[in-house]
Amino acid sequence: MENLAWLNELLADNRIFTPQTIAYYWDGLVVTTQLVFLSLVAGLVLAIPLAIGRSSNRRWISLPIYVYTYVFRGTPLLIQLYIIYYGVVFFDGIQQTFLWPILREAFYPALIAFTLNTAAYTTEIFRGAIKATPRGEIEAAKAYGMSQGLMMRRIVLPSAFRRALPAYGNEVIFMLHASAIASVVTLMDLTGAARFVYARFYAPFEAFLFAAAIYLCLTFAILYFFRYLEKRLLAHLKPQGGN
Amino acid sequence: MADTPIPLEVRNIKKRFGDTEVLKGLSLEARKGDVITLIGASGSGKSTFLRCMNLLEQPDEGDLIVHGEEIRFKQTRHGREPADWKQVVRMRARLSMVFQSFNLWSHMTLLENIIEAPVHVLGKPKKEAIEHARALLERVGLTARADAYPAQMSGGQQQRGAIARALAMDPEVMLFDEPTSALDPELVGDVLKVMRDLADEGRTMVVVTHEMGFARDVSSQVIYLHQGLVEEAGPPQEVLVNPTSPRLKQFLAPKY
Repeated sequence: MENLAWLNELLADNRIFTPQTIAYYWDGLVVTTQLVFLSLVAGLVLAIPLAIGRSSNRRWISLPIYVYTYVFRGTPLLIQLYIIYYGVVFFDGIQQTFLWPILREAFYPALIAFTLNTAAYTTEIFRGAIKATPRGEIEAAKAYGMSQGLMMRRIVLPSAFRRALPAYGNEVIFMLHASAIASVVTLMDLTGAARFVYARFYAPFEAFLFAAAIYLCLTFAILYFFRYLEKRLLAHLKPQGGN
Repeated sequence: MADTPIPLEVRNIKKRFGDTEVLKGLSLEARKGDVITLIGASGSGKSTFLRCMNLLEQPDEGDLIVHGEEIRFKQTRHGREPADWKQVVRMRARLSMVFQSFNLWSHMTLLENIIEAPVHVLGKPKKEAIEHARALLERVGLTARADAYPAQMSGGQQQRGAIARALAMDPEVMLFDEPTSALDPELVGDVLKVMRDLADEGRTMVVVTHEMGFARDVSSQVIYLHQGLVEEAGPPQEVLVNPTSPRLKQFLAPKY
């Protein structure tokens, strides 16, 4: 406790960062983390089968998926969020269904919009990686008697995931920052907390710079996580130096 | 004891790419222990012929009989296709292919490459597959590289690794598609040595190659292809030493 004296002193005559506002930021951080984490996991789970379908030669499979990714990549995330958040009310009878308690909250429409958006981008990232599988490796898989499914599971996807890793790391960071717009539909995420503190104290620099610093820390954590993954999983692409 | 079926028999294979007919009716019979070498200028159809044998290319006409089992085909809108892909998968597992550009799976170590198909296609227990793989690695002189990834190995090492991968399937016939063409000259010898050893131990092999020395010393039969047809075929002493066709004479003449 002794060595925190300087911090106490620094904060002694500041009226903004009280335990109460820090609690707002903390709650906002929790909401942001949950929202981003859940939408990324759900988006990833959706994107894997979609990317396989998108790589299919059969147009009746690949075309609908292309339309979906085109629409979600071709329109602003904010508009998608508005449509889902404000739009669901207009479906007749939705208030009577079990979905209403979920959709009424700002969190779930935001989660749905973010999931669909990141799934669209991730699908295209994976599709590119699947298409980039070296032809020879696919021929070898066929020549060794692998069925389509086995080849996808053992050869194409494991190598595509590795190739997709750097691009997917960017998508994760992009999602973290895009999640800031959740605050416009009244969600108290990290940005929402910053807006609240700003409005309360009319202190834009303190309120938003503090939030920005937290985003920066999260980004660092994500960057290091992906750097670690790349080091482990992309070792096979690096020729050994020396001999 | 009943006769063992002929490992690989192809009859009257025809194949066209668009308007060009690249294979104009080719046949081949690989009996147990045969080493058949396909030679010919580029564009003669020798690689396409080899790739028709395990259906990496679909022949437009002709029969394919692996281990006495005839592959069934059907006509579709896109041309002729195998009627039963399960049969194709089964037949491919009996024929191992070694490619010009090695085609090891780049995200797996050499050992993982070798046990992949035995474990996941043949259903061999993993422990057994690893033991077998280690023995094969010793055979091709790569014991020390078991845990290396393909990108970390030289071309010659990759190709010897690919041969070990092919052997791990206990194939009835090994198909070699220009196995030394992508290698630096000083690495060719190691790969050819492994292939000679395989021929000596009685492996059935079909080899597309430009290595005339290998063809002369090792093959039981040499087939010279020209524009999708067999121009000359027979034992190497006849075909390579005393060629009758003027084209083959020119093909074999020293090129300097």
